[in-house]
Amino acid sequence: MRYDLVVGLETHVELNTKTKIFCNCANKFGSEPNTNCCPICLGHPGTLPKLNEKVVNFAIRAGLALNCEVNLISKMDRKNYVYPDLPKAYQISQFYDPICKNGYIELDSGKKIRINHIHMEEDAAKLVYKGGDTYVDYNRGGVPLLEVVTEPDISSSDEAKEYLEKLQMIMRYIGVSDCKMQEGSIKCDVNVSVKPEGSDKLGIRTEIKNMNSITFMAKAIDYERERHIEIIENGGKIMQQTLRYLPETNSTESMRSKEDAQDYRYFRDPDLVDIVLTKEQINEIRNSLPELPGERFKKYVNEFGISENDAVLLVKYKNVSDYFESAIEGLKNVKTVSNFIIGQIFRSLETEAEKEEFKILTAPNQINELAKLIESGKLNMNLAKKALIKMLESGKPVTEFVSESDMKGISREEMKKMCEEAVKANENAVKDYLSGKEKALKALLGSVMKQTRGRGNAQEIEEILKGIIVK
Amino acid sequence: MISREEVLNIANLSKLYLDESEIEDARKEMDGMINFAKKIDKIDVDFKDLPEFNSISNAFHEDEIKESYPQNKILESVDGGKDGYFYIKKFN
Repeated sequence: MRYDLVVGLETHVELNTKTKIFCNCANKFGSEPNTNCCPICLGHPGTLPKLNEKVVNFAIRAGLALNCEVNLISKMDRKNYVYPDLPKAYQISQFYDPICKNGYIELDSGKKIRINHIHMEEDAAKLVYKGGDTYVDYNRGGVPLLEVVTEPDISSSDEAKEYLEKLQMIMRYIGVSDCKMQEGSIKCDVNVSVKPEGSDKLGIRTEIKNMNSITFMAKAIDYERERHIEIIENGGKIMQQTLRYLPETNSTESMRSKEDAQDYRYFRDPDLVDIVLTKEQINEIRNSLPELPGERFKKYVNEFGISENDAVLLVKYKNVSDYFESAIEGLKNVKTVSNFIIGQIFRSLETEAEKEEFKILTAPNQINELAKLIESGKLNMNLAKKALIKMLESGKPVTEFVSESDMKGISREEMKKMCEEAVKANENAVKDYLSGKEKALKALLGSVMKQTRGRGNAQEIEEILKGIIVK
Repeated sequence: MISREEVLNIANLSKLYLDESEIEDARKEMDGMINFAKKIDKIDVDFKDLPEFNSISNAFHEDEIKESYPQNKILESVDGGKDGYFYIKKFN
């Protein structure tokens, strides 16, 4: 029998606010353990949490960027469970009235992955296990999170990957999170089930917790799919449970049988008051959103005529895309700039992290100046590329590396004279060419190009050379 | 009516181990408690009328860092912890 894969993702996005969600302790990664803590984030009796205004603002930004409706009234709830990572024995989250609902992310294929809702919540502490003992660091306790929950619309590990990459990109564009997987600032829980091809009835699902690598997430989905199918084919029944993915063996193991929502005994947190928003407030935030990667991608391909492959590279990181946008001001042909970025500039940056940061010595206006010289025909591409490499190394403007005479270009008359001289001086090469050796012409071309100091147009010179020789 | 399955589920979540003979007793006792609490249902309360719960909204803190407590102060309540951490010894 053939099966359909059904996947839903719950993604936790750590917000890059300065402070925690319910107190003014620093929201900072990598501090000494238990140094960003206070009685509120430790849940001491008698303390009162107060919601961080910025968290609400970021949640609305995220919601609007993900095509959600924003609820005018939302509330905080308590999710009860007992574990050392939660000193209060409950996590403050949103269950009944989350801040955003009914959104979607559109994949390249045009398929929309629906977002059921987005809610705000606090992160739990970090547990370190050593020799069977547990060490608890509450610095992460109370760090603000958004949880973005999809409908079970994802039907392959590739779609899951694309969804997550897009989500990551959008969150970075709107500036609410760095989404660094290696620091755990974005991680997801994956719900997987299979059903007979075309069937409407969903199968029993398993949930893989805490995936913090896109590659492993995809592998975990593929592994679970096969495991489910094998159990069903052998007449067995899938057990609804929570799993952990083991990268070493590319397999999953059981953590616990899955709690039902009612086991968490969700109820309204009486310590926190309603969040009441106005339409004006939401519109103001909507107007402050930057152009999103999807919109930029469409503009680059449809309006600028950039290839899809190149457009993907340009929009992947906001810093790159912003740089491109400001470097193309006033240009007719923006492809020169996109080629420079994807070519010479990317080659000068070794890692993905460097590309993401995109801190280069050459300012966008300097690239703009270079591209304008090319556009106006004052500088040919050859010299421009050479100048660009020097510009990137030094941060100096193009005028430092090309002389007045370089920018004058070279007349056809001058080129013709050079070609005639070259033909006279290289009789052997001419003979070789006439006897059918195409390569011989390249040698002649090279010597003339050298003489023009790169200013000549190779095609034009080749044409002139052929004209002289054939005569 | 509380069911036998509900008793077992609650016992499991509470890490309580009930003998077969205790299950029915626990079920009856819990039923009694729930029925007692059900008396509250008779009170006619509309939550919208509770002023404290509805008149206050949007109590926020500004996103500005204030100094946290020093680590030793934070760990004071757990005898100083271990290596800067709260420490839970392995138990069997």
